[in-house]
Amino acid sequence: MGLHRLDRWLGSSLTVLALGWLWLVYEYIPGARMEGEPGPRAFPVLLGIVLAGLGVVMTLQAVASATRERAAGTTPSLTSREAWLATGTFGVLVLYAFLLDKVGFVVATPVVIALAMYFLVQVRNWMLLGSLAIGFTLGCWVIFDVLLGTPLPSGLWVIWP
Amino acid sequence: MDALLQGMSAALSPVTVAAVAAGAVAGLVFSAIPGLTFSVALALIMPFTFGMEPIPAMALLLGVYSGGMTGGAVSAILLGIPGTPSAAATVLDGHPMARRGDASLALGASVISSAVGGLFSLVVMMLLLEQVAAVAIRFGPAEIFALVLFGLSTICGLADKSLTRGLIAGVLGLMIMIIGLDELDGVGRLTFGTVQLQQGVNMLVAMIALFAVPQVISSFVDHGRVPRPPIVERVRAVFPWRRVAAHWSLLLRSSAIGTVIGAIPGTGGPIASFLAYDHARRFSRRPAEFGKGSIEGLVAPEAANNAVMGGALIPVLSLGIPGDPATAIILGGLLVHGLQPGPMLFQTRLDVIYALYMAIVVSWVVILLVQLAGIRLFVRVLRVPPHVLGVCILVLCGIGSYVIRNSIFDVYLMAIVGVFGYALQRMRIPLAPVVLGLVLGPTLEQQYRTALILSEGSHQIFFESGVAMGFFALTLLTIGWQIWSSSRRPADTAPGAT
Repeated sequence: MGLHRLDRWLGSSLTVLALGWLWLVYEYIPGARMEGEPGPRAFPVLLGIVLAGLGVVMTLQAVASATRERAAGTTPSLTSREAWLATGTFGVLVLYAFLLDKVGFVVATPVVIALAMYFLVQVRNWMLLGSLAIGFTLGCWVIFDVLLGTPLPSGLWVIWP
Repeated sequence: MDALLQGMSAALSPVTVAAVAAGAVAGLVFSAIPGLTFSVALALIMPFTFGMEPIPAMALLLGVYSGGMTGGAVSAILLGIPGTPSAAATVLDGHPMARRGDASLALGASVISSAVGGLFSLVVMMLLLEQVAAVAIRFGPAEIFALVLFGLSTICGLADKSLTRGLIAGVLGLMIMIIGLDELDGVGRLTFGTVQLQQGVNMLVAMIALFAVPQVISSFVDHGRVPRPPIVERVRAVFPWRRVAAHWSLLLRSSAIGTVIGAIPGTGGPIASFLAYDHARRFSRRPAEFGKGSIEGLVAPEAANNAVMGGALIPVLSLGIPGDPATAIILGGLLVHGLQPGPMLFQTRLDVIYALYMAIVVSWVVILLVQLAGIRLFVRVLRVPPHVLGVCILVLCGIGSYVIRNSIFDVYLMAIVGVFGYALQRMRIPLAPVVLGLVLGPTLEQQYRTALILSEGSHQIFFESGVAMGFFALTLLTIGWQIWSSSRRPADTAPGAT
């Protein structure tokens, strides 16, 4: 995607985001209760206005740059592989959080390591995969739970209520 | 003189030295692991001090504090994830140094700078305690607001080519910290009635997410596509004192910044480190190297964030006013052991004061020895293939996010903020200003509103303060200078540059 086009899109999106933010702020955050105190809403409103302004500035800058320069270069487009890896990483983290809650650290960690190594990093060496999953889990448990005394999640062991 | 000799004798006893050493190592380990801060270490270790004599007990706590202020740089440099919020600025140049093969140089330089900063602030604490306390106590909400606003203006320096993008990043960081319960009014802000969102977005969770997750995704993307040669350590300088000493002036200035910032309650390491970083960049002969592995960009924040320690202890010892959770625990330790902070402590128990000073010196010696001895071991982390290390980092992010508040919800938040950070990075919005917004946002708003409550809504409170006006002037100068120097730069074909 051309840089100008990206910036126009980004600036416009940020302006829309800021307007949405302002709506949410007015809808969900009460105003000041005491006279003379700005209240919990003032700062978020200010931030929304500033972001909207910056979005407009970015859009105008992109338009102005596009009329002055012919070729400003491009930014690498998001490939399907990159999108898959970003989504996959998000999915792994969400899965990890879910499993930590449900089955605890000792089970969740090797499962997630194995899944990440297999699907995201394409490791097919089962020895490496297994030893890393188990070894890293054991190491973290020893360091965090045994040595440092910081409790790790033990899980509810209830998948559905 | 008797008090000095008694204090030294107490501080150098085997029990006290062992306590300091144990505390320093514990602080180092806790702060080196993202998610575990030395405040957690202090809270965990505090009960163990109840059965100890006062001086060894306080020495143990101060050792944890010293070690904790230093350890955050280890993961900041090796992994690109700050172990503590104070080490966020260290990532900017420390991690690039590690990636080009200068990890041992970076680690050595950081520990030496930390020791210099810590000892500098200790000397200031010893010689100028009353004077600094007198200045610090004059900082009310208006002054702190102005100081933090000045700190935010350093966004201009972190924005690299595009000021607009930098400001957008800063605003997004400020917005993230809005979510949660309002501290002054107790109302929920964008919590949508959910209990979990009432606790807000923890700053350290957001930092872990923004620093680590985009980097991990990038390592996955690069794996198999970009042939990456193994990182070979170029400089095996474990104790690069000459390289650090070459920047002695910067070290002293950064240490002074850290000491002063530390003495002001409510501020702390993150503000000091970013201010020092920005100061170093502005006065450097090679500002273009910042963000790419400049040793100055490492030395300045590390000296400053460790100099905070001595400064922070000044209001604690002289006035009984803690500036942050860590010093609050230290204050608790003093009270539990019958040491009432204030002028009387200096009159009746001067031996204790000297013992505490000596304990801090011993802690820095231990930290230097442990860190320098461990550098060769630490840098082996870089031999692990980046994509494998990335998987391990994901797990550490999850654990680190959980242990901060024992909250699974924080792990979910970390995932969301992390991918959001990757999206920002992809759209060429820098992440460093986002982090700055996260760090400074809560203090900025709280002090602003507190000042207006005190003045019953009148903004005159800001203009009546010479200190506040001074910081406002510096802020305008910083922003104006950035805009002016950007406009004089050769035309940039990339849109968005100002």
